[in-house]
Amino acid sequence: MSNTVVKHSELREALKRCPESAIEAALAFQETKDPALIPPIVLGILERFVEPDVRPVIREGKDSTRLMDDLGIDSLLMVEIVILVEETLHISIENEELRNIRTLGDLKLYLDAKTRGLPPPESKNVLNFEQIAATLPQQPPFLFLQEARINGEYAEGSYHISGDEAFLEGHFKGNPVFPASLMIEALGQLAVLFLLKSASAALDGPQVDPGSVYFVGGDGIRCHKVCRPHDTLQLKVRLKKVHEPLAQFEGSIFSNGSRVARAEEISLTFAMRAAREEAAARIR
Amino acid sequence: MSRRVVVTGLGFATCLGRDAATVLGALRELRHGIVLHEPFDDPSVPVSLAAPVPGFRTDSPDAEDWTFPENLSFRLDQLRALSPNALYATYALRQAIAAAGLEAEAVAHPRTGLFTASAGSAMLTHHHIDRMKRVGPSRCSPLGIVASIAGTLNFNLVPALGIQGASAGFISACASSGHALGYAFDEIALGRQDCMLVVGAEDFTPETILPFASMRVLTLSRDPDTASRPFDRGRDGFVGTGGSVAMVLEEESVARARGAEIYAGFSGWGQSTDGTHMAIAHPEGAGLARAMESALAAAAVAPDQVDYVNAHATSTPMGDASECRALKRVFGTGGKRPAVSSTKALTGHALSLSSIMEAAFSVLALHHRFVPGAAHLVDPDPEAAGLFLPRESLDEAPHFVVSNSSGFGGANVVMVFARHS
Repeated sequence: MSNTVVKHSELREALKRCPESAIEAALAFQETKDPALIPPIVLGILERFVEPDVRPVIREGKDSTRLMDDLGIDSLLMVEIVILVEETLHISIENEELRNIRTLGDLKLYLDAKTRGLPPPESKNVLNFEQIAATLPQQPPFLFLQEARINGEYAEGSYHISGDEAFLEGHFKGNPVFPASLMIEALGQLAVLFLLKSASAALDGPQVDPGSVYFVGGDGIRCHKVCRPHDTLQLKVRLKKVHEPLAQFEGSIFSNGSRVARAEEISLTFAMRAAREEAAARIR
Repeated sequence: MSRRVVVTGLGFATCLGRDAATVLGALRELRHGIVLHEPFDDPSVPVSLAAPVPGFRTDSPDAEDWTFPENLSFRLDQLRALSPNALYATYALRQAIAAAGLEAEAVAHPRTGLFTASAGSAMLTHHHIDRMKRVGPSRCSPLGIVASIAGTLNFNLVPALGIQGASAGFISACASSGHALGYAFDEIALGRQDCMLVVGAEDFTPETILPFASMRVLTLSRDPDTASRPFDRGRDGFVGTGGSVAMVLEEESVARARGAEIYAGFSGWGQSTDGTHMAIAHPEGAGLARAMESALAAAAVAPDQVDYVNAHATSTPMGDASECRALKRVFGTGGKRPAVSSTKALTGHALSLSSIMEAAFSVLALHHRFVPGAAHLVDPDPEAAGLFLPRESLDEAPHFVVSNSSGFGGANVVMVFARHS
């Protein structure tokens, strides 16, 4: 038996229970190292490890599909997936790098860079809870973002309603419903995060003074569904217009795949760090 | 002690059957579960017989290759954390909970605990360590430990059931699940819990059974119908089995208040240690006799009140003889004596599982008013002279039943169960 045949049968054994298309792609990748084969291989490996009911979501292959929330891949399952991807593509993935991979799109970009021998794509725009809390002036128990990412002109974030929030005891008695006003607050917090962290050309992001951002107004606010404990709010804001001292966003919230709320306009006022320092100097 | 313990649920994944009715039929009619075991059909393996659990097949280290009854289902992340023994235990425990009529909220309750006994999975330990040595730890399943080590039953069952009370595993070789039952009894008697789920389980794989061939304690017989014959002069070793048995214990007033069917009372238990050898029982059965005396005293039952003893006897020459001496010391050789049989004649030896399996058989005997006979016994060992070893099952309703277990390290556990009226 030739060496290639041995390798082929080992690869087939390692990938058993993956879709045949992924196995074929992996065998071809072994010969050609063609990066175009990576998505079908990786999607096939993911498909093998998730519950049957979410497999169609993987087949859609949307870059925005989230590994944890949409596919139910927890950290231990992720390790199993990584091991199989490593074996198949002959790469090694560091734990540090894994933390920045949250979506199918992240995964594809990461593996593409990796197999080309390039450094992994920068993922500074993904913020975990600790990073959000270190950035925003809002703090627990009045912080309604657990993770967020900033992409160009928009920001996405999420908040899981644990049910332990103190205000749910009174909103309402015996009927815990996440307050609509706090949904808009959560969108506002995401917008503040965008102002403070965005590398958007329209803004000198890091220059916005965190102590200067306040809510000014909202327009076209509609709530479509109530959210309760154990629902996860998927928040998104998009920057419509910015000109110091005003920034306008539109925002929406989804939960369990359906729209929960939207705001046609949320306006924030802000000041650049230097401007505030000047003002402070004048007051002194 | 005012808090009394009763048995309100049983669940079986055994070579005698996967439900109480089938197991009961096998015990009454002395039908065994031993077969010529195809995986042992290998010139280097001297052993031919084993007692598999019908409907299960777990010889692959890849859980996704296993077959098991259709009424069991797992998410993939659950399946990949299972050992074979945890698979059997899930089946038996769900059956016991259903038999007890316990709702999910009563199981996931601070007053309900879970005690378990298994030796872990030798097959999966070997599989994962072997892979680790070949490819390094970074390329190994993150769930390898969860599936392999001796806590695997707790790791898997606690989250599946949402257990909130006490949870622990017990390790004393073939007395393990007896210790789990005994300490579960204490949890209830001491008022710490109102309900205890107890489950014993053992892989049924060559990795678990064949090391005993190295000790020369497995029978080399090729005849399933006579191979396991405790107390017989011609006995020459045990037959390996695996699977799981689960039992629901409850405080009596709690069980009554919810209208549960009570299978039997759990009157008390005792334990002792031989303190002599790492694997061989005390030749005079001194430790086992002390454990029986201690259990009877705890249960406030006199030896002559005992109607049936489910013996530990595994069908090994030394172990059975030692137990004969212990039984004679406690129950005497004249006057009213209990019927004695070892149901390992039917099941073979289930190691960590055997104690709770035989306790459950004892409960079935009390509940269904019969005494399992000493199957396959033709020519009793002279040491058994003076013991009452009925060759057929008796249609006599026992009042008190004693269940014996002994394990490596000289650990002895004895339980006393009572007919519930």
